[in-house]
Amino acid sequence: MICGANTTEAHPIIGLKIRDAVDRGARLIVIDPRKTDLAAIADEQEGGIWLSIRPGSNIPLLNAMLYTIIEEGLVDQGFIDARTEGFEALKEHCQDYSPERMAQLTDVSPELIREAARVYATSDDSMILYGLGVTEHKGGTAGVIALANLVMATGHVGRPFTGINPLRGQNNVQGACDMGTLPYIFPGYQATDDPEAMKTFAKAWGVSALPSTPGLMEPEMYDQALKGRFKALYCVGYDPAQTQSDIQKVRRALEAMDFVVVQDMFLTETAKLAHVVLPSACFFEKEGTFTSGERRVRKVNKVINPKGRLKADWEIICLISQAMGYPMIYTSPEQIMTEITRLTPSYRGISYKDIGNRGQIWPCPSKGHPGTPLLHTEKFPRGKATFVPVSYIVPEEEADKDFPLVLVTGRRLEHYNNGSMTRRCEGFDIIAENELLEINPGDASTLGIVHGQIVKVESRRGSIKARVKVTDRSKPGTVFMTFHFQDNLTNLLTSPGMDNKTLTPEYKVCAVRIRPK
Amino acid sequence: MAETIHITIDGREVVAEKGLTILEAALAAGIDIPTICHIRGEQESTNPCLLCMVDIEGRGRVRACVTQAEEGQVIEVHNRDLDAFRKERLEILAESHYGDCRAPCNLTCPGGINVQGYVNLIAKGEYLAALMLIKEKNPLPIAVGRVCPRFCETRCRRILLDEPIAINHLKRFVADYAKEARFRDTEVGKPTGKKVAIIGGGPAGLSCAYFLRKQGHQVTIFEAEDKLGGLMRYGIPGYKLPNREVDREVQGILNLGVHARLGKRWGTDFTLQDLRDQGFDAIFIATGLSRQKQLEIEGAEHAMCGLRFLKEVNLGGKPSIGEQVLIVGGGDIAVDSARSARRLGAKNVTVIYPRSRVELPAHQRDIEEAEKEGVQFFLMATPLRIMEDDGKIKVEMARTILDEPDERGIRHPIPMPGSRLTWTGDTIISALGQEGDPTFQSYGELEASIALTPRKTIKAHPSTMKTSVAGIYAGGDAATGSRTVIQAVAGGRRAAESIHEYLTKEKPSVLEPRFNFTKGKRFEDVDMHNFEGYDIQLNEVMPARPPERRTGDFGEVQLGFSEEMALREANRCLQCGCLGLSKCTYRELCVDYKVKANKARTRLKYPLDKSHPFIVIDANKCIGCTRCVRSCRYDAFELELSLDEKTRMLTDVSIKINENCVSCGACVDACPTGTLSKQDSVVPLLPAQLSSVKTVCTYCGTGCSLDVVTMYGAILEVKADQENPPNYGQLCVKGRFGYTFYRSPDRLYLPLVRDSVDEPFREVEWDDALKVVVERFQKIKDEFGPDSMGVLASARCTNEENYLLQKLARAAWGTNNVDNCARV
Repeated sequence: MICGANTTEAHPIIGLKIRDAVDRGARLIVIDPRKTDLAAIADEQEGGIWLSIRPGSNIPLLNAMLYTIIEEGLVDQGFIDARTEGFEALKEHCQDYSPERMAQLTDVSPELIREAARVYATSDDSMILYGLGVTEHKGGTAGVIALANLVMATGHVGRPFTGINPLRGQNNVQGACDMGTLPYIFPGYQATDDPEAMKTFAKAWGVSALPSTPGLMEPEMYDQALKGRFKALYCVGYDPAQTQSDIQKVRRALEAMDFVVVQDMFLTETAKLAHVVLPSACFFEKEGTFTSGERRVRKVNKVINPKGRLKADWEIICLISQAMGYPMIYTSPEQIMTEITRLTPSYRGISYKDIGNRGQIWPCPSKGHPGTPLLHTEKFPRGKATFVPVSYIVPEEEADKDFPLVLVTGRRLEHYNNGSMTRRCEGFDIIAENELLEINPGDASTLGIVHGQIVKVESRRGSIKARVKVTDRSKPGTVFMTFHFQDNLTNLLTSPGMDNKTLTPEYKVCAVRIRPK
Repeated sequence: MAETIHITIDGREVVAEKGLTILEAALAAGIDIPTICHIRGEQESTNPCLLCMVDIEGRGRVRACVTQAEEGQVIEVHNRDLDAFRKERLEILAESHYGDCRAPCNLTCPGGINVQGYVNLIAKGEYLAALMLIKEKNPLPIAVGRVCPRFCETRCRRILLDEPIAINHLKRFVADYAKEARFRDTEVGKPTGKKVAIIGGGPAGLSCAYFLRKQGHQVTIFEAEDKLGGLMRYGIPGYKLPNREVDREVQGILNLGVHARLGKRWGTDFTLQDLRDQGFDAIFIATGLSRQKQLEIEGAEHAMCGLRFLKEVNLGGKPSIGEQVLIVGGGDIAVDSARSARRLGAKNVTVIYPRSRVELPAHQRDIEEAEKEGVQFFLMATPLRIMEDDGKIKVEMARTILDEPDERGIRHPIPMPGSRLTWTGDTIISALGQEGDPTFQSYGELEASIALTPRKTIKAHPSTMKTSVAGIYAGGDAATGSRTVIQAVAGGRRAAESIHEYLTKEKPSVLEPRFNFTKGKRFEDVDMHNFEGYDIQLNEVMPARPPERRTGDFGEVQLGFSEEMALREANRCLQCGCLGLSKCTYRELCVDYKVKANKARTRLKYPLDKSHPFIVIDANKCIGCTRCVRSCRYDAFELELSLDEKTRMLTDVSIKINENCVSCGACVDACPTGTLSKQDSVVPLLPAQLSSVKTVCTYCGTGCSLDVVTMYGAILEVKADQENPPNYGQLCVKGRFGYTFYRSPDRLYLPLVRDSVDEPFREVEWDDALKVVVERFQKIKDEFGPDSMGVLASARCTNEENYLLQKLARAAWGTNNVDNCARV
């Protein structure tokens, strides 16, 4: 079951593996408003199911599936009893989410919802892959919980070919979080307000105390900057001025800061708003480790020497730290990793030297440990897993009279995020030269616009121009755009809505209207 | 453990897993059965190559790729009949194969330089990689880039379209670029403990020293003059090759740790035996030719020696030559002397030569330049007698005619009967060319045993440079007679390779097979349809100082290409040499089975298809193996083959990539010829020259394993790592083709700084940028506290970098304000 993930474009090799699995007889369920490649395959497959959901209605849909599984007695009661708690409350909560009641809200027929639930629950092994189509919603975290509830109710976890897999959009999302670049955790997900952890890290880092005030998440930094309380930012390898949602606000926030340092390979949109831009080596020009979506810690090797006087990001960070009076003296990423493994239990057995060409999968708690590709085989980290009932969270903004279409944003095969790399590679602008507004033929004809025409796309926050691509990949009432193009900043349009826990922007739903130019 | 069986392959007992084909079983045992069409784990071809045919005792001939290995089989992979069969099959494939393995420029270069490779590295802006590719064969690019007669350009196929690529100017461009960039090439091999003496510090000696040093040998050059450089310093005038450029070349070689003993003359200061006694394990003689042919007419003693004249001028001397100068000869020394004479103030400089203009041995380009500078050529004439009269030189001359052919058919010029002319002037310079000087044989016993050629040069084997005495080698003009700098460089390199083999018993790592499919050795053989669709674009003209200005001094005449000119010029290259060379299993088998390259088709049949953004299709090279179709996972590859029923020769091919294509590039990597190649990957290399580094793709979070092919700091292509997870040989368009951003022209190389965002940026040095960063962060921290600052880390950076960023925020700054871009 693929939920909110256009894998053949955003994770093409995973997409390929899914297609191989389908060729070998796996039944495919795709939950996606758009008729992505995999949605089309599921739609055509004998026994496959495509749920063309209304954007933003993941939770009611997943809850309706759960309702079906419970109602039709498809739960794995043995698993629920042995490994979970809180099922009764969940069962109670689900009563409001029958497929029949959710049909209108989700725009999916009750029969299809029920069929999907049956296929998922009754297959010997069922696996869920999900992407940003689940998380980039106001109810993003809740959506993930809704998926987890399905997994636990059916016991499809802890065995090969089962489980629930978030598909990581960027090469080192996993590793960046593992390393504690989040305001509330140290490396290895150790809480910053845990006195023991504070003591350990303070000692290891040679400081008398570590900050006790809770840190700001990125969107909170912008809010504080606009209030004049956040003054300086050091932004490394990230281009929020193009890729954050509602970027007008981000830009205002950056402009409000006293000092912004951007470290990047190119003059990105964010770099254009900086006071200092520090050029950095790219991944071909340095070494270190990345942790891929399967928690596989991989060695990145230096392929070529950096041109000119370029430095690797880690070298620049050390220089800044040292000049500010805090010594960071490392001669190689290997030394840094040695320190990481000392302080990060799940990385303790990772050996930079012996990582090899296949990588090591954490948790890897001790030297010589083979790594742990399969989690939750015997028990969950907290012992028993808890079912958490989740309710429908309405998107920040829905289509209305003035802005009658829902804009969904995402990636295209040919480009990557802000395009700073792919748009500078030979050949890529031939296969994908500019932004395209994907629109359903019915909507196009209602609006009187044609394929190839340039139109104005407007939301409550901004307006950009884009070329029209009429395609039945777009669900009626929705349009789709990427955010790869510096000359068409799609995020001028996107919603200010955010997941209330993680503050992940609601990239997948915002109300727009289209005007022929 | 799986069930096993026992088979015998070419007399070798093999234990194999049950259920494998013979091909798989052999492969698992490390036995190579030739095949082109087999792809591990994929269906076999509908048009099998039949090269994997083997003989099974008692059963006969079978295809190893589709025949199960069974207990007790006795299999022959190689026997006379099978090998003959394979050769026949390969030749049938050749009949429909059309292309050039190596480009004509590459094959023509006496130095064997990968010309197409470096020209195209320049086209991609990879100047230093281009330079290093040149230096694989020629360590003197600054010099050769200025004086080479450019054999390569004479064979450039672009001549059939408009004009040849200005290859040598491009070489000079990268050599000069590297100089500006203060590029240093100082890497040498591990010490071998072997010592080599080189006699003579000219181009051959320097080249030999460079390559020996790169292998880790200890090298000492013995040079009779005060400085190294040989003819480059003392022969070639500064307006062509300034001495400061020779200094740079010499310094580059010395920087490798080459020793030089200056002012040490062979025969006076040491003998070969002395060198051996000093522990030198090998000796390379590269003394050049210091003797000039004598003018054999009455009054020859009144003529100045051209070689000595040039040396004096190159040392900064200003020999007094007056206003009227006559130069006898027609080679480089004559023309160089004439042009130097103009620069010394001679008003009237005449070169006298007994044959016609086209027979002048000097390069036509130099002759034209000389004429622009006012040098006159008096052709079909010869001096008969020189007299001195009251400080003036009088020369009696005659017009010449050609005599009856001699026994070798050569017609020599002779004075026309009755013709008498007189020239009166200030100086006559004799510049008849150099010749061998056997006097070295009197220096010692060892010297006396070195054999000479009939032309009194040292006899040395043309490819090993071995003399008649073991451990003593000779090259450059001393062995070959008067040649060009690049030929001396090539001789020095060959000697170094040969000496290395002699000292270490190691065979050379890359052997270039002579086998070469060609679209035509001669221009008239080349099918003109090859040039359809190309626009005429004449070559870039080398900027030069105007003749009236340049004759006033010895400053360099040619000024060098600008970067823009170099890029335009390099992009004119037609890329004749096959870009599938490094993956061409077909060529390797043709070499192994001694296929005759002239079996190949001689006419273009299908136009080159460059319509795909990443893939070039050249159907002329298709051998019908169907690997492309079978490697495509997207039904995007349409291949239609027509075969002759009897011979199975390919009679027609149609290749099309349809709209299903996602540009993953799997087909290109699967193609065993140059039928499919990558638009971006432009350096033709032999399989053994390919070097790659394994790393991980950094686009999405899948973390695919990559094999990145590199050369001297340039990425040539990205391939999928076949062996490792999670992709096991598959990649997407971004992984395989999305790598050229690293050399994007708008890449940032220096920090940018400004005081406020409404100002433009200034490019500054690292120290200055860091100073600003630290001061301003510190000030804000002091004034508003650490929680007024924050770090945004990156899901694109490494674990180590992310770790340091949060450590910086928490430990150095004292704030938990650190977040990353995982939400995007």
